[in-house]
Amino acid sequence: MKGGSSLNRLATSPLKIIERILLILVSLIFVFPFLWMMLTAFKTLPEVFRFPPTLLPEVWDFSNFLKAWESGPFLKYLLNSFIVAVGVLILQFLTAVPAAYAFARYRFPGRNLLFGITLIALMIPPQVIFLPIYVQMSGWGLVNTLWSLILPYGASAFGIFLLRQSFMQVPDEVIEAARLDQASEWKIIWKIMVPIAKPVLVTFGLFSFIYHWNDYFWPLIMTNSDTVRTLPIGISMLKASEGSQVWNVIMAGNMILVFPILIIFFFAQRHIIRAFIYQSK
Amino acid sequence: MKKWKSYFLVLTLSVTAIFTGCSNQEVPSAAEGKQPAAEQKGPVEIDFWYAVGGHNGEVLEGLVKKFNESQDEVEVKASYQGDYYENHSKVLAAVAAGNQPDVTMVEIGVIAAFADAKVLADLGPYTEGDEEKYIPGLMKNSYWNDKLVAVPFNRSTPLLYLNRDMLEKAGLDPKGPKTWEELRQYSKALTKQEGGKTVSFGFSTPIDIWFYEALVFQSGGNILSEDGKSLAINSPEGKAPLEFWNAMIKEGIMKAPPGEKYNAWDVAKQDFINEQVGMIFTSTGDLKGLKDNAKFNVGAAFLPANKDFGVPTGGANLVMLAKSSEEEKKAAWKFMKWITETEQTIPWSLETGYMPVTQKAVESDEMKAADPNFRVALDQLQYAKPRPMVPGYKELQEVIMTEIQRNVLGQATPDEALSAAAEKAQKLLKK
Repeated sequence: MKGGSSLNRLATSPLKIIERILLILVSLIFVFPFLWMMLTAFKTLPEVFRFPPTLLPEVWDFSNFLKAWESGPFLKYLLNSFIVAVGVLILQFLTAVPAAYAFARYRFPGRNLLFGITLIALMIPPQVIFLPIYVQMSGWGLVNTLWSLILPYGASAFGIFLLRQSFMQVPDEVIEAARLDQASEWKIIWKIMVPIAKPVLVTFGLFSFIYHWNDYFWPLIMTNSDTVRTLPIGISMLKASEGSQVWNVIMAGNMILVFPILIIFFFAQRHIIRAFIYQSK
Repeated sequence: MKKWKSYFLVLTLSVTAIFTGCSNQEVPSAAEGKQPAAEQKGPVEIDFWYAVGGHNGEVLEGLVKKFNESQDEVEVKASYQGDYYENHSKVLAAVAAGNQPDVTMVEIGVIAAFADAKVLADLGPYTEGDEEKYIPGLMKNSYWNDKLVAVPFNRSTPLLYLNRDMLEKAGLDPKGPKTWEELRQYSKALTKQEGGKTVSFGFSTPIDIWFYEALVFQSGGNILSEDGKSLAINSPEGKAPLEFWNAMIKEGIMKAPPGEKYNAWDVAKQDFINEQVGMIFTSTGDLKGLKDNAKFNVGAAFLPANKDFGVPTGGANLVMLAKSSEEEKKAAWKFMKWITETEQTIPWSLETGYMPVTQKAVESDEMKAADPNFRVALDQLQYAKPRPMVPGYKELQEVIMTEIQRNVLGQATPDEALSAAAEKAQKLLKK
């Protein structure tokens, strides 16, 4: 019933219709580059260069994907990308959840200072601090291993910040009730706080995963050999340093990179929308 | 409860995956390390970091493989490190950490900065005069304080590319314009308008530092003063290229391609392939790609002369790192010498479009049989001038580029742009 009436309202209100059209236009602006990448990946090179450009490929050329895949050990790159992105994610959860809980729920000397320092970490791009970390990793003999891609990202200031905000919204009564029931702090964190903050956790997880999945700079700096390199480096190798680019193969490579993220996004969508609705309250 | 168990399972599995994933990497390298020790005297291992991707990267990997198979004293481990600039940052970080490569590529405009930071080894003691074999026009960015610090490898130079069919149809000499004035006349003849709208331009060039340098050289000027302490383009010679470009754009016969950095290059090339412009400036490295994709007869010519012909060269040189051990340095030179030898530089050049680096290669039958357009680039080398050799040029070139682009976009007069560049240069060159 409720659904039916809102549909009616939608159809009759001209304002709503304009809003819909605007939303569709905005989505098209965002979707078009992806679509263009996808279609280019299926075109032949002469068609890529043609002017005026074609939208749909005249001949669907699937060999670009094979060319991209065979240009290097892509299976290895893919596996490394997964290990790094998942490894970072787990470490970040393990550090961010207790840290956020402490910042949100405890009063201790230096809390504000420590939280301020955490926030500062949010503002520093990796290009600024890569040198000391590189030297440190090198000192530990970890350069050119997957550890050097995971450990420096073990704690996420963004994750701590996001989770703290969400933990602070949990009513005190809930925690007091749990304490009355003799629940340990550890139990409160993992059995009460984490399930309540699930939409935020999923959102943060996705942000973190996408960032590390797509990250090019850090793996390039920290690794030297194919056995420990990740997908974005494999794809950048498709780009010619000088001379003409093979755009269709480069775009096929990008499709390989983006595809796993699209799948994950598809499954996590419900949680993300929930997280944004909760946060905006 | 059940749910928690499954979470725990996933967690343990992933953690194990990371551990095995990471430790897997260490096992083969440990095994590799043992192998040479088992033999009486294993090959010296050297690291070579390179910065060319795509097809050229594959050709380079092939050459390294050939070197490793051709002898058993030196084993080169080559690895891709992104573009020139990413490789530069990485090499500097690695030098600070002490795990630098033994051989790498440095873009020729940045060699001074690297040499000044004492990162590069003096090649003199190793070459024993072997550097005589290289083309002199390619050696102008190789010396620092009279010491040889780099040898030419993947080198390019700008060319004027012509759509010969278009030129012939317009009744022009298919050899192309020889002077700035001719370039203007040709451009005018090639520009086509339909219904008050320009459908094809005569000429297009990215407003890039490389071409600006060329036009300053052609006007008889230089980028820096003799002592390298100040900018010399705030002068008639520095102003001439801007006035020339501005006049052609105003006349509607030249297109300044939109886009940042290499995007503008891609636009120019795309327009050329689609016959929307008749002539462009771009690198020798594009010879193969343009020929393969164009449906017309592609020609190449010298960049037209103002007072004289003149071009910079581009690309990167090979360098040896100062921090390597004596043994590694000897091995490194063996590799550097081999890969720049005539037998290697000919196939490297033919496959990639970079220039061959030895004089013998230029005289060889293989090169003479190659695309005549390629000869143009080699012949043009007699007019080549070095890119400025001062440490500050790494940043200064960006400053100049921004200013000349501001002028071409109509945001500043040539005088304003050049004096702004000169002012900023003062600070960079004092360093």
